[in-house]
Amino acid sequence: MSSRSPLQGVPAVSDPPHRLSRRRLLRHAMAGTGALLAAGPLSGCASPASASGASALSVWDLFQGGDGMLMDEMIDAVSRGDDGFDVDRTILDWGPSYYTKLAMSAAGGRASDVAAMHLSRLAGYAPGGLVDPFDLDLLAEFGVTEKDFTPAVWSRTRHEGTVYAIPLDVHPFIVFYDRKAAEKAGLLDSSGALAPLGSPEALLEAGRALAKATGTSGIIFGHVTDTAQNWRLFAGLYAQTGAEFTLPDGGPARIDVDAAVRVVTLMTQLFDGKTNPNNLDYNGALAAFTGGRGGMAMLGEWELPTLKESGIDLGAAPFPQVFEKPAVYTDSHSFVLPHQDDPDPERRREAHRYVAAVLKQSLTWASAGHIPAYQPVLSEPGYAKLEPQSSYADAAKVAVLDPPNWFVGAGSNFQNRMCQPLQSALLGNTSPEKAVRQMVREADALLRQPNPVA
Amino acid sequence: MTTTAPPGSQRRTEPPTAPADGRRAVLRRIRSGNGFVFVLPFLLVFALFMVWPIVQGLWMSFTDSSLALRDTSFVGLDNYTEAFGDPDVWSSLGNTVFFTAISSVPLVLVALAMALLVHSGLAGQWAWRLAFFAPYLLPVTVVTLIWTWLYQPELGLGNQFLDTLGMEPVGWLSDESVAMWSIAALTVWWTVGFNFLLYLAALQSLPTTFDEAAALDGAGAWRRLWSITLPQLRRTTGLVAMLQVLASLKVFDQIYILTKGGPNGSTRPVLEYVYDVGFTGYRLGYASAVSYLFFALIIVVSLVQFRLFRRED
Repeated sequence: MSSRSPLQGVPAVSDPPHRLSRRRLLRHAMAGTGALLAAGPLSGCASPASASGASALSVWDLFQGGDGMLMDEMIDAVSRGDDGFDVDRTILDWGPSYYTKLAMSAAGGRASDVAAMHLSRLAGYAPGGLVDPFDLDLLAEFGVTEKDFTPAVWSRTRHEGTVYAIPLDVHPFIVFYDRKAAEKAGLLDSSGALAPLGSPEALLEAGRALAKATGTSGIIFGHVTDTAQNWRLFAGLYAQTGAEFTLPDGGPARIDVDAAVRVVTLMTQLFDGKTNPNNLDYNGALAAFTGGRGGMAMLGEWELPTLKESGIDLGAAPFPQVFEKPAVYTDSHSFVLPHQDDPDPERRREAHRYVAAVLKQSLTWASAGHIPAYQPVLSEPGYAKLEPQSSYADAAKVAVLDPPNWFVGAGSNFQNRMCQPLQSALLGNTSPEKAVRQMVREADALLRQPNPVA
Repeated sequence: MTTTAPPGSQRRTEPPTAPADGRRAVLRRIRSGNGFVFVLPFLLVFALFMVWPIVQGLWMSFTDSSLALRDTSFVGLDNYTEAFGDPDVWSSLGNTVFFTAISSVPLVLVALAMALLVHSGLAGQWAWRLAFFAPYLLPVTVVTLIWTWLYQPELGLGNQFLDTLGMEPVGWLSDESVAMWSIAALTVWWTVGFNFLLYLAALQSLPTTFDEAAALDGAGAWRRLWSITLPQLRRTTGLVAMLQVLASLKVFDQIYILTKGGPNGSTRPVLEYVYDVGFTGYRLGYASAVSYLFFALIIVVSLVQFRLFRRED
């Protein structure tokens, strides 16, 4: 950076200018790298107080892309002011490897102060002591109590009566639809929202009507080689039958085979490869729906930003009830306190204050599509204005999560293994009965494994 | 100074400012130690990153070691008994072997054909060389991204091509009987360049005398290829085949990214099962046992290949 080559001042004949400029370029590049390296440790901090560094609250999460930027915004918001936080945020890749890293850091006893976790994974963490319990009195001091959450979600934050997770959002598997196509198909009520369906036949009929309205396909669903989509669809529909799906330790799995066959049969009838395509993968389905080749798409609400960009006249609704009971398959991004061997009480207090403060920023979070778990935000006038988010917010009241067990949840082997037979059934390679039998077998095999976290 | 030199040594060639006695002693010690000091840095790294993990992994395979817990206990052969009775171990091992079989053969033959073509003096040699080798330079993520779209059921080039021929679309990655072949095709396209390069280098270093003599005696091009060139390439073929089988047995990344082992476990290689069980399922002890079973298989394959190779010589 400092030492200038004498050549630079005196252009010598023997030294063509391009060599000079290359050398200068190299030097600038090195200086730039140096500056980046020097700035590295500071860049994660959001507040001016960050120079202290050591006291920064460390936070791990898996929010990338649009979600990641919204989380940045929320952290910025809670970092302002005199009592603003000094946050050292680490973003890790979404997927199974996030949970590998989180478990390892907690097992080592030197984990981050706060971490994000899918609520469906809690059963793999709380019993083995990989996460530490929240102090509800402390949270109440910062204005967050049990009453601020829906019972369906709150009930899943506990293990043996102790609360280990504080939900940030609920992110259900819902339906998006093209308003024009849905209107043409006669599926909208007088207020312009999706009318209730109420029966499997009505869902099949809706698919046919939408296919007619678009001239191509009715309902779009991508599942091929995906390790979660089929399970999301199945689990939501299965919960609507009211049947039991539990995974007691040691097995066998308690699954109502008849109800499961009913659900898989409906799935195969719906995605028959004619009215509605049965061979799309996740990205193919997104491309098909945004390209106008379908009137409705069954997707997670987190695809909202992508779909909004497509210019479709977009509507959304909780996953329609077609069986006996209202239920919507969902998961929830939550905050946990990863286990620390020797937690500093002052830092723990800060962690509680941080969780409460971020929850109150949930309106920002909702803009990407997630339903805030913190209910007071839902009654803010700003939320009602969010369209189509507010039209599926009720999904949180009938939220159904994965059956709890250590091997279950987002990004788990369980979801992958449940998806495989379902995919075969949808592609017509196996019958619904056989697919269900394989699901039961897979669940039993997982239950027979020794539990590595307890 | 020269008086200190032992008679008959090579001191004469050295400059007058010769090394002091101490340095000479070190040199002598190194010579007598057969260069051990020079190998030491490598040995340290090798011991730290190869030998130690192998020993540690073997130990772990006899414990119930968990990624998420600190205390582990010795369980004897339990993991191995479980692995022998686990149908997923056998099906994934079978998948790995199947992939090795269907990928290694074209990877050797296609590479040979391409090298012969380029060596035969085709116009624009450099362009062929580049075209055949370029895919090998791509990282796995790029390769899988390209092929995901080629294999797209609705929009992909593969099915559009079949469509123009008036054929039924194929579930490239969704049909259980097709998926592994699709992955093998991708792998051939991606990695054939390396074998091609080995073959081309071998071809270019072959002595031309036999070929010329045969040509003078009136042997045609096919005859010379069959009776002169291919026998001369035998050692290269042995090497390429051995490297290829070992590389194919290690298949993991392109499958993990493309299909995650689906549809219905039909493409899950044993290494993915080890990953699933160990890192996603936290059961490091059991995963170690499975990987040692796989290790045994590789040793058997290597020994068989070694025997075949030796007999050919």
